[in-house]
This record gives sequence, C-alpha cells and structure tokens, in this order.
Amino acid sequence: MPGFVHNVCAVLEREWGRLTHQPMYFVLTVFLPVLSFAFFALLFNRGAIRDIPIAILDQDNTTLSRKLAQMIDETPTALTAYDIQDMIEGERLMREGKILAIVQIPAFFEKSILSNSQTHLENYVSGANISVNGLLSKDIQTAATTFSAGIQLQLLMKQGLTEHQAMAQLMPIRFDRHVLFNPLINYGYYLAPSFMPMMLMIFTVMVTVFAIGTELKRSTAREWLRRGNDSIIAALAGKLLPITAVMFLVSLVMLLINFRIVGTPLNGSLAVILLGTLLFILSYQAISVLIVALLANLRLSLSIGGGYSVLAFTFSGLTFPIMAMWEPMQWVSRLFPFTFYTDIFVDQMLRGTPWIYSIPDLLCLTLFILLPMLCLPRLRKVCTEQKFWGRL
Amino acid sequence: MNRFKKQLSSYWLQAGTVIRNEFRTIFTDGGVMLVLIFALLIYATVYSLAYGSEVLRNVPIGVVDECRTPTSRSLIETFNSGPNSYVAYEPTSMEEARELFYNRKIYGIVYIPSNYDRNLYGGEQADVAIYCDASYFLMYRQVFQELVTAIGKTGAMVEFQRLIAKGANLPQAQATVQPVIYESHNLFNPYLGYGTFVMPAIIIVIIQQTLLIGIGMVGGTWREFGLYRKLCPPGRRQMSTLPIVLGRGLVYAAIYAVTCTYIFGLHYRIFHFPMNGAPWSVFLFISIYVVACIAMGIAVSTLFRYRENSLLLLLWTSIPVLMLSGVSYPREGIPEWLYDFGKIFPSSHGVNGFIRMQTMGASLQEVFAEIKWLVILTVVYGGLACIGIHQLIGREQHENGSDSQ
Repeated sequence: MPGFVHNVCAVLEREWGRLTHQPMYFVLTVFLPVLSFAFFALLFNRGAIRDIPIAILDQDNTTLSRKLAQMIDETPTALTAYDIQDMIEGERLMREGKILAIVQIPAFFEKSILSNSQTHLENYVSGANISVNGLLSKDIQTAATTFSAGIQLQLLMKQGLTEHQAMAQLMPIRFDRHVLFNPLINYGYYLAPSFMPMMLMIFTVMVTVFAIGTELKRSTAREWLRRGNDSIIAALAGKLLPITAVMFLVSLVMLLINFRIVGTPLNGSLAVILLGTLLFILSYQAISVLIVALLANLRLSLSIGGGYSVLAFTFSGLTFPIMAMWEPMQWVSRLFPFTFYTDIFVDQMLRGTPWIYSIPDLLCLTLFILLPMLCLPRLRKVCTEQKFWGRL
Repeated sequence: MNRFKKQLSSYWLQAGTVIRNEFRTIFTDGGVMLVLIFALLIYATVYSLAYGSEVLRNVPIGVVDECRTPTSRSLIETFNSGPNSYVAYEPTSMEEARELFYNRKIYGIVYIPSNYDRNLYGGEQADVAIYCDASYFLMYRQVFQELVTAIGKTGAMVEFQRLIAKGANLPQAQATVQPVIYESHNLFNPYLGYGTFVMPAIIIVIIQQTLLIGIGMVGGTWREFGLYRKLCPPGRRQMSTLPIVLGRGLVYAAIYAVTCTYIFGLHYRIFHFPMNGAPWSVFLFISIYVVACIAMGIAVSTLFRYRENSLLLLLWTSIPVLMLSGVSYPREGIPEWLYDFGKIFPSSHGVNGFIRMQTMGASLQEVFAEIKWLVILTVVYGGLACIGIHQLIGREQHENGSDSQ
C-alpha cells in the first residue's frame, strides 16, 4: 500500500508539470467552464418572459371589445403590437416573425353580450414555438375567462343576486392552486441548474480524454505508466485525481452561481448535492477512460466522447419527460449518468425530497464509475504496445 | 493579359490540388468523417427518435378524496376523461400522497375536502385544492391544464343545472354560464408536438456546429502537416489565398449538399416534420445558410494549431448557440444585448428563417431580413477567412524559410 501511494505521488508529480505547461488544461478546466456558467447565469437573468408581440383583429370596435383587447394587452406575457384589419395581414405578420398570436373579436360581440346570447372569441397562436405558445395561451385564456366572469357577475346581479351569491353561482367550484417547488414558475431556476452541469460534464469528458489521449498521440504512454511503477491503477489515479479536484472546485463555483446569482432555491440536502456532483464528475471521467481505452485514438475519442456527452441533455427528461418517450428511448435514457444526476438536483434543490429518496440515484452514479474500470487491462495494453501510439 | 491568364490557370491548378487533397483528408480520417458527415445524420436521427412520441400524455396524478360521495366521484372521473392525466392513485391522506410524490409515482395531487358536496348543493362555493409539481415544466403544464379544465366543466354543469332549476330557458342558461365561448387554435403544430417544435432548430444548429468543428479539424491538420507548403505547385513561391478558400469551401458545400438533401428530403418525411415551404425557396435559403456557416468555419479554423483543438474548444458552444437563436428559450426572456450578440452566428438567422419557411410556410420575401444578415455574415467571415489563410501562408513560408537556413 505505501508503495502504491508512492507510485501515485510520482505520477502526480509528472502530471503537475504537464498541467502547468500546457495552457489547454487551464482553458478546459477553469476558463471555459466558468465562462459558460456566466453565460447561462446572464441568459436566465430576466427569469420571467414578458411582452410577446401579438396582433388583435377587432371586428366589433365597441366599448366591450376594446375593454377585452385592453385586458389581453395588460397580461404579463402578451403585448398588442399590431391592430390589424383582416386575417391576411395577420398571417403575413406571423410569417414575418413579427407576432406570435392573433386574437379575433368577432362583429356583434357587444350586441350579443348585451342581448344575453352567446358570442365567441378566437385565438390563433403559433405552435411553431411551444414554450411561447404555452405562455400566451394561458394568459390570453385567463384574460378571456376573467372578462367572461365579469359579464356573468353583472348578469346575475341584475337578476337580484348579491355579489357573494353571484360568485357562488358563476363559479360553483373554486380551486386553490399550489404550485409546488417553483412557485414563481421561473424558467431560470429550472434551466440554469440543468445547463450548467451539462457544461461541467462536457469539459470533464474533454479534458479527461485529452489528458490520456495526448499520451498516446505523442507516444509518451509508456513513460506515464512507468512513472506509476507499471501499475495502471496508480498511473490512472495520478492522472485523474488532479482533474477531479479541479473540476470539483469548479463545480462549487457552479453551485455558488446557481444559489447566489440565479437564485435557485435549496430545499433539500446540500450534502447529497455535493456528493452527487462528485460522483457525477467521477462517472464521466470513468466513461472517458473507457472510450480512450477502447478507441486508442485521441481525436476519434474526443468525437465519440463529445457526441455522447451532448446527447445527455435530451435524454435527461428535463425538457421532454422520459415518461413521454417511446419505451426503447426510455432505456437509452438510463445510459447517461446525467439523467440520474438531474434527478438528484431536482429532488434536492427544488423539491426538498428527503435524502433517502436520492440513494438509488447515487448508487446508479457509482455503478457508472465502477463498470468502466473493467477496461483497465485494455488500457494497460494500449499504453504498452507501440502500435496504438501516434495515431491521429 | 497574358499575365492575367497565367495567374488564372495557376489558381485553377491550385484549386484542383486543394479540392483533391481536401477530399482525401476528409475521407481517410475517421474523426473528421464522423463530425462532417455522420454527426448530422446520427444526431438528427437520435434526437428525432427521442422526441418521436411528440406529446406527453397520461401523467399519473393522485386524488385525496375526503368527501367520498357520488358527487366527488364524478369530479374524479372528469380528471380521467382528458388525454393528459389520469388518476393513478387514491391515497387516503396527504401524507401518503406526499410519499407517492417523492417516489415519482404521481406528479400532481388534488385534495377534495369532506364538505365538498354539501357546499356544492347548498348553493355555496365548494373548495378543491390542486398541488402541481412545477419542477418539470411540461408535466406542470399538462396536469394543471387538464385539472383546471375538468373543474371548470364540472362547475359549469352545476351552474347550468341551478339556472334551469330556477326556470331559465336553455339558450338563456347557456349564455349566462358561458357568455363568451373562448377557442384557441394552435397553428402549424396543432398537437403542440415537442419534436416538431424543437427539431428544425436543432438540425439547423447541428449543421453549423459540425461545419465549424469539422472545418476546424481539417484546418488543424493543414497546419500540423504543413500542407500550406506541401501543396504549393512547383515553380511558385507560395500558395495563393483564394484557391484555398474557394476550393475548401466547395468541398464542404458538396458534402453538405448530399447530407442536407437526405435530412430535408427523406428524414423530414420519415419523422413527419412539417414541410410547408416551397421546396426551391427552402433549398435556396439553406444553401445561403450553409455558405455562411462554411465561411465562418474557414475563418475560425485558421485559429487552430492542432487537429483536436476545434472539438475541445467549440463543442460546448452548441447549447449556448441553440439558446441564443431564441427558440427553445423564448427570445423575450433573453437580455437584449445577449440576443444581439447571438447575431454573429449564422444559426440565429438560419433557425428563425428556416422555421418560418418550412414550418410556417413563409416566402423568401418574408424572410428577407434573415437572408440579408446571412449574406452580410458570409461576406464578413469570407473576408476574415481570406485574411486568416493569407496570414498562415505567410507564416508557414517564413517558418519554412528559417527551417532551411
């Protein structure tokens, strides 16, 4: 055992020289990750999305129709940018990207309401962007419902009901809405903590593959192994530990940006988040080792490793839930440690789930660290046999 | 005149050498082929498969029914009637419901208090509590929308019955219950499919990113192998800039002509993405876009000293670039200056223009603003590419000169 520690230290010493002499390491482990965190913190800085331009086609042009148009304009997300004369104009504006919805108030709108007969209101929302569509649909619907309720209230009070009775009449079931864990429905809270680990992961994979791959590309692999006294475990430990340490420190910066600047709540256990983050980094390092050992080619490994890490976001289910995917795709989603890591942070940051529920996710991450280690004999072979070196 | 002719034939010769060499470099190098050719095909397919089901249906929810009467039962049944959610569990207490929630068995809870039917039939307002999980946006939206619709419908039913009981006639009662019928129509993507929404943007961004990274790799190869010197035709002091830029650009354009034809011709049909644009207009727009990306790619590639650098330094930009196009995260939420900064990427204009043409059926005139930007970017990046390549030729020449001394 003391011999092992000694070997690791010897490799660490060699690694220290490499890390300080090759600026690429600093760029990949510190500069770019922090730059990317800053980007996402700035991107989601506004939090709420407001003033999406829409057009209103008012074919009635009466006090009531203008009142309704005004109510729609006053909603947080909709902004009446154009008052149009016909649908053709509206369609053109939509295709030109200037508006995202057209609200049509039909002729005889006021007359119908005053004569106590039903009228209608049409909303044409672009579905090309479903996140905008969701916001606009909800707000315009709310405005329409509020308007409609006001009319009902007046009708019922005209019939001699008190306001209280009228309310009970027009809305027999009242619901209390409790939005759990993200009461402001803030996109930033949610997206910032999911994109930043994505960046952390991409750089972890890149730098790990780079660190091992350059040994092969420059034919220094045997020297590296020899420094660890021919113990592949010692050589690998000495190689990976400095990267793990730096990436973990950078992940602390990430969490700090999340909690302090973006303002993501921390409802659960910080300890679980920290442990999860460490396992997350280690698991992607282990997978990177596996990729280099199998391919023994720096650039191909970078391409494959990069491709694999970028895919993780889609399969994490953060935007499009895993539950909605086709069955085989649900299985694919388990091939990415990121999926388990996002479960941990959703549980521990937003939901405040008791830590015990995060244990299965932590165990899965551990599995991603242990399984790739089966490739160590292959890595040893790659590092000792000359035919694997100097490839492009 | 003769000199001009000579210059032209030399250009022609050099361009030929560059094109041949470029094809050889790409097709003998697995890493480059993976990025320049296969990445677009693989990513487009995998993402399309992941989003293949398009919509989220049947989200499980739990109902805590303290009332346990036929009245509350019928409310619960309305939660099951829509496509988006279903009542998977009926826990007996909120404690139990919370446990199910933490276990990710349910994504929303409805609490019906014991006085529900008494209030409803006593002419009072009955209360119901909804707990929706907003930690996953799509879940929140589907569950909340369905629950509110169900409760609204049940309420309207009760109101209608009360009015009829009081002696109102049917049209009157209808007009009182719902004076304004509100209808929302989703254009271009009627079921609000996630893939239909996000795939066009992803494909356009992948085209740009693979070109940037791929051309960067080849650019690194040129420098690592000193190709600027080796490809110099005998009798010339150094290579000319223009044949290199145009020759290389032509090779990438040829490759992307093939892969893009597959993506927008076949892949789009396989996955049923909307194709509402006029084919030739879309073709023209994509061509302009690809040219802008190639110009940017060559300009950026002059910065890379080693083959692997472009991937190491550019891969991470894919997600920020997608965000800056203002699609998956609405542009109204992006700080103005950051959105303006995003305009230096062809993808920002490409994504917006392409979605409006192919998904919404806009004509070339209607995306004129985007085309104008793409042309400006092509000119600027093309100029930078020429300057960069020219610099490199000079530097290599210089280094070579000092080598031989």
